[in-house]
Amino acid sequence: MTSIGTGYDLSNSVFSPDGRNFQVEYAQKAVENGPTTIGLRCKDGVILACEKLITSKLLVPGSNKRISTVDRHIGIATSGLIPDGKHFINRARDEAISWRRNFKDSVPIASLADRMGSYAQAYTLYSSVRPFGVTAIVAGADNDGPGLYMIEPSGLYWGYFGAATGKGRQAAKSEIEKLNLSELTLLQGIKEAARIIYVAHDDNKDKEFEIEMTWVTKDAKTANAAVTGSRGMIWNGWVHEEVPKELLEEAAREAKKAVEEEDEEDDDAKGEEKMDEDL
Amino acid sequence: MFRNNYDNDSVTFSPQGRIFQVEYALEAIKQGSAAVGLRSKTHVALVALKRNAEELGSYQKKIIPIDKHLGVALAGLSPDARVLSNFMRQQSMASRLLYKRPVPVSRVVNSIADKAQVNTQHYGKRPYGVGLLIAGVDETGPHLWEFQPSGQILEYFGAAIGARSQSARTYLERHFESFPDVSRDELVLHGLKALRDTLQQDKELTTDNTSIAIVGIGEDLKQYDGPRVKRFLDLLGEDGTKSQRAARLDTAMDAGGADDDNDDELAGLLGESGPSGSAMDTTE
Repeated sequence: MTSIGTGYDLSNSVFSPDGRNFQVEYAQKAVENGPTTIGLRCKDGVILACEKLITSKLLVPGSNKRISTVDRHIGIATSGLIPDGKHFINRARDEAISWRRNFKDSVPIASLADRMGSYAQAYTLYSSVRPFGVTAIVAGADNDGPGLYMIEPSGLYWGYFGAATGKGRQAAKSEIEKLNLSELTLLQGIKEAARIIYVAHDDNKDKEFEIEMTWVTKDAKTANAAVTGSRGMIWNGWVHEEVPKELLEEAAREAKKAVEEEDEEDDDAKGEEKMDEDL
Repeated sequence: MFRNNYDNDSVTFSPQGRIFQVEYALEAIKQGSAAVGLRSKTHVALVALKRNAEELGSYQKKIIPIDKHLGVALAGLSPDARVLSNFMRQQSMASRLLYKRPVPVSRVVNSIADKAQVNTQHYGKRPYGVGLLIAGVDETGPHLWEFQPSGQILEYFGAAIGARSQSARTYLERHFESFPDVSRDELVLHGLKALRDTLQQDKELTTDNTSIAIVGIGEDLKQYDGPRVKRFLDLLGEDGTKSQRAARLDTAMDAGGADDDNDDELAGLLGESGPSGSAMDTTE
């Protein structure tokens, strides 16, 4: 920790002699401890999933959501400081509405990611504010098809096939890299997403958790509704919604089984190694 | 001398990504006396312990009615709670004026959460120093929310904030599974029992220091203070107003063996029910 004690890390918008803004780096630290959150851009839509640790059994299950709908066709998942995430999402909703007012169309995902990137960046410019303690994964679909972006506290953002943030991001990333996302369908994707959340959870097994999962999808019904909409083509027919309960439960069940089996194999392998050593 | 340089304002992250000013504000809640909230399928109840600064002084306000269907209990800085509750009343009135309907509980809770978040991100502002339990009923039924100075809001079946609130939470965790189907009176009784567990050894629940509010489906918020609390305290039964810990000590003293009861006392604090603990649940 060379940053501590130099005095360059006490205020936002201050460069250190080697050109770093420490307060932004510290904001990223807030995210690194946050819950694992992933996004998968599939062939026919996008998936958002996050691990929700159950901190108290008195909490109402299914309440206190971490993934929000920003516009009918866009969802955002945040990891890090939850209140900051709420603020960020409110701003994204305002941006989406303003785009509709100006252009009579639903906002393209790249444009929303750009606006929100700029918004996050503005909070790194002044000593009177602090950067957002969140990374946001933006999922949606437009004329270019499904889109997935991840915005960091610095304002930096990239488009992704698969994105991961939070505590288990390293494990999640290496699992995502094994997938062929340009061929994967949503129905296959939700099973992979559930499995990845279970794999990434591995480090703190003792805590119970539930999976929150949404997708951006388009079926015949919604596509038709978009075309026949009475106020003109202001919605592109893609919907951000919760993954149907039965599908999610099935995916979670399979994921749990797969991870447990993998663990057993690992244990067996270790056991054999041990026996070899003993011999 | 070691000095923490990262805790002077709410716009500075520590190297670990923490915001100390917000964490300190969370501590302010623990300085206030306890408040408990819990909900059934039909009702939400708030019970709170009032403190008086001196023997002849009046007791503080712990429960603030917002609207016919909405009320809050507070722990921490009460002036901050007044600012937030005034804001909630405005929201509530605006909803009735604009939409001719009472404001949904989640909407009003989200609005104060957003307000509180801004205070944690701008220089020259400070986080609110108060925790709230918001109880209300809307189209989707009864709801209980907890609000924190960080801008965090969470929906609960049962929640407790303020000094020694962990004891109340332990009680709620043990009993909340039965809450959905209990009657109005039983719900309040569970609340009082949870609140009772937060009491100091020499204290007991009285008509002076206990505040109750209940709201239900098709039933306006009703607040009980002073003599009107008596009916509920009577339901708790004799000696029931004392904390289980204090009562247990009393019994031990009577038996002349205070010393060997200390293990039970410790077990009780750790969440294990001591043998003499269950004997006090006369009303169950």
